[in-house]
Amino acid sequence: MAPSGDAVDLRNVSLSYLAADGQPLEAVAPTTLTIPAGQFVSLVGPSGCGKTSLLRIIAGLHPPTSGEISIFGDEPLEAQRLKELGLVFQEPALLPWRDVEANIRLGRELNAARTRDGVSIDQLIELIGLEEFRHFRPDALSGGMQQRVAIARALALDPPLLLMDEPFAALDEMTREQMRYELLDLWSVAPTQAERGRSAIFVTHSVSEAVAVADRVLVMSPRPGEIVADLPIHSPRPRTPEHEQSPRFLEDAAAVRAALRAAGPIPATA
Amino acid sequence: MTAPTIPQPSARRPPLALPDPVAALPWLLPPLIALLLAGVAVEVWVRAADISEFVMPRPTVVIEEFFSEFSRYFSEGMRTLAVSVGGLAVGTAVATLLAAGVAHSQLLERAVLPVAIMVKVTPVVSVIPLLIVWLGYGWEPKVTIAALITYFPVLVNAIAGFRDIDPRMHDFFRSVHASQREIFWRLRMPAAIPFLFAALKISVTLSLIGAVVAEFFTAGQGGLGSVIWIEQNEVRLHKVFAAVMMLTVLGVTLSTALIICERLWSWRIDRSSANI
Repeated sequence: MAPSGDAVDLRNVSLSYLAADGQPLEAVAPTTLTIPAGQFVSLVGPSGCGKTSLLRIIAGLHPPTSGEISIFGDEPLEAQRLKELGLVFQEPALLPWRDVEANIRLGRELNAARTRDGVSIDQLIELIGLEEFRHFRPDALSGGMQQRVAIARALALDPPLLLMDEPFAALDEMTREQMRYELLDLWSVAPTQAERGRSAIFVTHSVSEAVAVADRVLVMSPRPGEIVADLPIHSPRPRTPEHEQSPRFLEDAAAVRAALRAAGPIPATA
Repeated sequence: MTAPTIPQPSARRPPLALPDPVAALPWLLPPLIALLLAGVAVEVWVRAADISEFVMPRPTVVIEEFFSEFSRYFSEGMRTLAVSVGGLAVGTAVATLLAAGVAHSQLLERAVLPVAIMVKVTPVVSVIPLLIVWLGYGWEPKVTIAALITYFPVLVNAIAGFRDIDPRMHDFFRSVHASQREIFWRLRMPAAIPFLFAALKISVTLSLIGAVVAEFFTAGQGGLGSVIWIEQNEVRLHKVFAAVMMLTVLGVTLSTALIICERLWSWRIDRSSANI
């Protein structure tokens, strides 16, 4: 049952809800978007612009107010059922009573009928460099180590679509810069049953992070969130920290920053 | 991939080690000495003031009674223990089941919680005469009382525990289409375990109270409560004190057993009441 079609296809997807004063509030403006299989997309925008909401809609965790979503041709809930989604949140959200190994295994244990054999758990632990910490529980790990476990937990599902919501936002600057390249290693090394490779949506508010990891950067405007720019990233893969000094990288980053500025000022009330 | 920083060695794995008796000595000795001194003081006071044994028996007489009639107090104590543990088991099971339902259903919460609170604020001993009419003088009314007196802390804590879930964790479970059963057994139940132990530490002493009070009402049917009631009527206070001593032993044993179970089976030790 190899997934077919585009990884993500959104048709006029929007989200609004009633604010405390009873007024309808538009969080995500009608959005139409196609992400081909195998593409790594960053979604950047100011805080509170609806990036996270859009990601949660794609993940099937929140229904949209209007519009249609398809993940490899299926509805998000069907994509959940087929275990096609690998989620990474801003917080690691690991089970505190499970050690590193058992946390990485969690997603394979759940809905086990749909579990695919991807990379082995041992290999993932090795890839994230936590062999010595295999039997440590999350509260004994640093924030960066916890987030590595969370990424490994998502990749253990061998998901054709990886959805990441500001996964490095809670980490210190040095760890952040290192983690983006570790993520790219993991993303490319871990096999996937999707023939055209793994797709990813990476939500961030860091321009350099967005450009460093992605094939394509989508820029969202302040609320109501709307994709106002769709920029290709020209740097070749595999990428290294050094490429952040290259003219190509700097040009792409400048284009993203210009698009963010053009998107309008950040509203005083988020 | 660079080597991660080494965390504190103490943070490895859950604390499975049981308390070391020798290491516990500095904590055990002072209370024992304090107890001994208090006993000596009472002994001296009773002798010096020449207080009647029908008012205050001498501690040495109580201790002699306790050990010479040990098999009596022990076997009666086992009956009280059975009622207490039985009530605790029933109360905990019912409360955990109710809490699981309440955690899943708002409607059940609205229906169950007010009733549970009404039962809780009603003095349980007031229904003992009714229970005896309905259930007789056997173990049934006693276990029922012990269960009624213990269920509430478990109910409240279990509800809190089943709900003490990181919404992101719940999102992850949903994102792979985990079943309600998987969400319950792999997410809610483990999350509730430390809460359940915190509740049990409160309930375990309550269950002894329930058992003893129920035995007062069914005096003649065995148990330390029955012994206390009968010997009090006969004004043999040294026997009353010996029965109370056995209850203290039971209480300490039950609480200690629970703390050991918590260390073995809970992934987080509840420090707030670990010393009770």
